Amino acid sequence: MSGQGLTGLSSWSRRLVAAGVFAWCLITAFPLYWVVVTAFKTPPGVVGGPTYIPFVDFTPTLQPFIDLYQGIRGEFFRTFLNSTIVGLSAAAIATAVGAMAAYALVRFEFKVRFGAGLIFFLLALGGYLLFNNSLGFTRAQALLLAFPIALAAAILANRLPLPGPVLGNEDILFWFVSQRMFPPIVTAFALYLLYSEIGRLGFQLIDSYVGLTLCYVAFSLPIVVWLMRDFFEAIPIEVEEAAMVDNVPSWRIFLGIVVPMSMNGLLATFMITLAFVWNEFLFALFLTNSRWQTLPILVAGQNSQRGDEWWAISAAALVAIIPMMIMAGLLSRMMRSGLLLGAIK
Amino acid sequence: MMRNDPIKHVFIWPAVLVVLAISIFPLIYSFTTSFLSYRLIPPIPPRVVWFGNYATLLQEPRFWNAIFTTTLIAFIAVGLQYVIGFGVALALNARVPGERLFRVALLLPMLLAPVAVALVARMIFNPTMGPLNQFLSMFGLSNLPFLTNGHWALACIIAVEIWQWTPFVILMMLAGLQTLPEDVYEAAELENASAWQQFWGITFPMMLPISAAVVFIRLIESYKIMDTVFVMTGGGPGVDTETLTLFAYQEGFKKFNLGYTSALSFLFLIAITIIGVTYLALLRPHLEKRR
Repeated sequence: MSGQGLTGLSSWSRRLVAAGVFAWCLITAFPLYWVVVTAFKTPPGVVGGPTYIPFVDFTPTLQPFIDLYQGIRGEFFRTFLNSTIVGLSAAAIATAVGAMAAYALVRFEFKVRFGAGLIFFLLALGGYLLFNNSLGFTRAQALLLAFPIALAAAILANRLPLPGPVLGNEDILFWFVSQRMFPPIVTAFALYLLYSEIGRLGFQLIDSYVGLTLCYVAFSLPIVVWLMRDFFEAIPIEVEEAAMVDNVPSWRIFLGIVVPMSMNGLLATFMITLAFVWNEFLFALFLTNSRWQTLPILVAGQNSQRGDEWWAISAAALVAIIPMMIMAGLLSRMMRSGLLLGAIK
Repeated sequence: MMRNDPIKHVFIWPAVLVVLAISIFPLIYSFTTSFLSYRLIPPIPPRVVWFGNYATLLQEPRFWNAIFTTTLIAFIAVGLQYVIGFGVALALNARVPGERLFRVALLLPMLLAPVAVALVARMIFNPTMGPLNQFLSMFGLSNLPFLTNGHWALACIIAVEIWQWTPFVILMMLAGLQTLPEDVYEAAELENASAWQQFWGITFPMMLPISAAVVFIRLIESYKIMDTVFVMTGGGPGVDTETLTLFAYQEGFKKFNLGYTSALSFLFLIAITIIGVTYLALLRPHLEKRR
């Protein structure tokens, strides 16, 4: 593709534009460079004022990283492991579950009556209030009772010819994506309350692997469904139709034909989800305290623990961002092959 | 073509159940809590106050301050992100020299943890030992109170937001630019339209739907800002940089004022919805006209 925005420009103004982009690039790169050099400095090397070039301005040392590994400022190694475990499993589950939902929304027809949705909401809210206030159940018990009842009633009600609009696939998709619009604080705080209520029933979700992973899966799903729908739509349907003529069951069409064909998309979605989970701060702050603490919480804690020990802060920040730097490299490769074109159509 | 096969339920229900359990469950729970006066520290048993929490909040100057601060950060940051991002995307699309190298570097910031970015920003903005201060002292400005003065701190937070999220705008706009049809530009070229005329007459209007989506996403996300502020200033000095999420965090986790925090988060949800709906309503006539 030729240059569209700048075709009419003289070579002089082209150079000006290139300089502008270069300047932005410098602004982007400088803070990154700064973490890297600061992480290799000794304490006196930092306090003495800004220095820039290793071996010329200052003598690099590995001490900050050794301190980090030995856990002098928080259990870094285990936190890193936590982040990796939770990140990988949440991203994998979210991609799998979300891809299935996205495929269903692309290839199957769904009809949800608006009335059924309303019944679900009213029964859930009313049942919860009834069980909790009048029948004397605890909050968690009331919720756990009211929801299955409401859900079952709504599924049954969906078969009845209720008045009101009928929602199709597009509306369900919108419902999924709109989950992303909620300020996370609304859910994070409520989730904290709910988890602690369930914890009182004897099933610990706060500061547990299951609780954190479940929460991240739910909050990655909107993105996964949104991205994967475009990939699935781009797949030519003829192959699937040919398989259907041969009476191949739908789940084998999905696993055997559709998944292999959209491997690139699944991989990219997985990486984007992983990045989201890896960096997530608010939910981790609310839902963990010691055992399953993740990297962003520990990194944020470096701030206030012992004043500004910049060499240590830089080393911690660097370890937290290096995996994402590698991902940026991988993603930008996929970007060149037009990966993200589909996502914004 | 849509098929109808009972197996479709197996495909969609896992996702629906997870979302119902993790986001609708708590929502209903928190909705009912918002009508209670409910404190854990000091422990006060729940008592129904109906709209009491909401009324208290609306009279609370700190709440309005948080709304104002969040709005200010979101609008200025997103505005500048859009202008810079569109500019860089145009340049990259026009294949400025070295464009390949730029692409990787430009993608990076948005993938980094905001917490880590904020820590790095703290170092760079440090008035005595930071490189920025050393750079500015060449121009005779030294020891500016970057994070200790309210206005400066706000500006620094906005700068960090721009640094981190302009890449998102670049990415989306670049993808959009690559879908524009070439023949329109060839026609414009024949009529000797200048680059500036081509931009305002063709590129900008054709990019309007994508621009609207990008700005919308960024605006909604910016309103949730918390990590950056939490690490850079902690809402200070005073409450000068306190955003809505941070305010809710302070009320919920420092004072364990459950009913109040639930009411606050619902007001936040309402505010986001109003902004979103207004934005879409304002933009709709423009989008339909150009299509």
